[in-house]
Amino acid sequence: MRNCALLVAALLALATSAPSAAQAAQTVWSGLVIADNVAQPAPMPPELTRIEQTLKELFGYNQFQVIGQSRKTLKTGEEDWLASSKYFALHVDARGESEAGYVLNLKLYKENELLLETDTKLSKRSPLVIKGPQVGGGQLLLVLVVQ
Amino acid sequence: MKTFEEKWTAWLDGELSGKELVEFEASLPDKTAAEAQKHDAHKLGTLLKEQLGAHALSNEDFFSHQLRERIARESGPSREPSLEASTWWTVRRLFWTGAASLALFLICAIFVMREMNPGEQSQYLTQILNARVDPAVSPNATISMFETKEDKVTVLWVEGLQSLPADYAAK
Repeated sequence: MRNCALLVAALLALATSAPSAAQAAQTVWSGLVIADNVAQPAPMPPELTRIEQTLKELFGYNQFQVIGQSRKTLKTGEEDWLASSKYFALHVDARGESEAGYVLNLKLYKENELLLETDTKLSKRSPLVIKGPQVGGGQLLLVLVVQ
Repeated sequence: MKTFEEKWTAWLDGELSGKELVEFEASLPDKTAAEAQKHDAHKLGTLLKEQLGAHALSNEDFFSHQLRERIARESGPSREPSLEASTWWTVRRLFWTGAASLALFLICAIFVMREMNPGEQSQYLTQILNARVDPAVSPNATISMFETKEDKVTVLWVEGLQSLPADYAAK
């Protein structure tokens, strides 16, 4: 019976401590994506295949091309980085880590002009998609995914 | 005072005697017929004794032994069927099994409670804390946000930003 009690205590300890063991360095992929409709769409970028169906249904385009991207491994949760294309730049400033994800400040620039700013709590399990300006016949999208 | 039927039965069985016998036989209307009936009754009685008599037991001792055993068993101190003898579930084991089940339930509950926090937005969905556009650059811009259930994608939907020429799609 003493063994049984010890086993129960060990299981309880495991239950309460398991999530903290899961904390580890994570990589955040941030991309500038142009969505448009073409006759022969290029293959979906691998970073977006997980949300391909959602992107197609939400925006109604059949091609998604990455025009700028950055992959950042977060160690302290306080890093900042830039994903940029020829005309656009997405500045990401990580402002801390929680159990569920990272607090990020995002700024979208068109050349040197600030178009959009947002603060988000990016979850490790939930990608973020931001609808940007119309570009030609397509649409600029900002996508952030914790990998 | 005996009735006629009682005296008749006693007469048939030969139990009347003396004055009582004389008086009864004198009261019979047809003594010959009565004698014949008495004879028949005796004959029938003999036959019944022969045919229906109790058979002697061939294993009398064994039968008696069995009978005594059964009486002793049934008249002895009554015993409840013991839990220990009939099942593995002793009170102590029941107690420990119950305690272990309760502990297991608590562990599962802790896991579930960590996953879900009712009343709050799930911590596993990305949340937009705030968003703004420069009103000087995009005066008609509107911002909305939602989540898709399928992929748990959080979408910040900005309408009314200034449209740009296709050249801006360059890498």
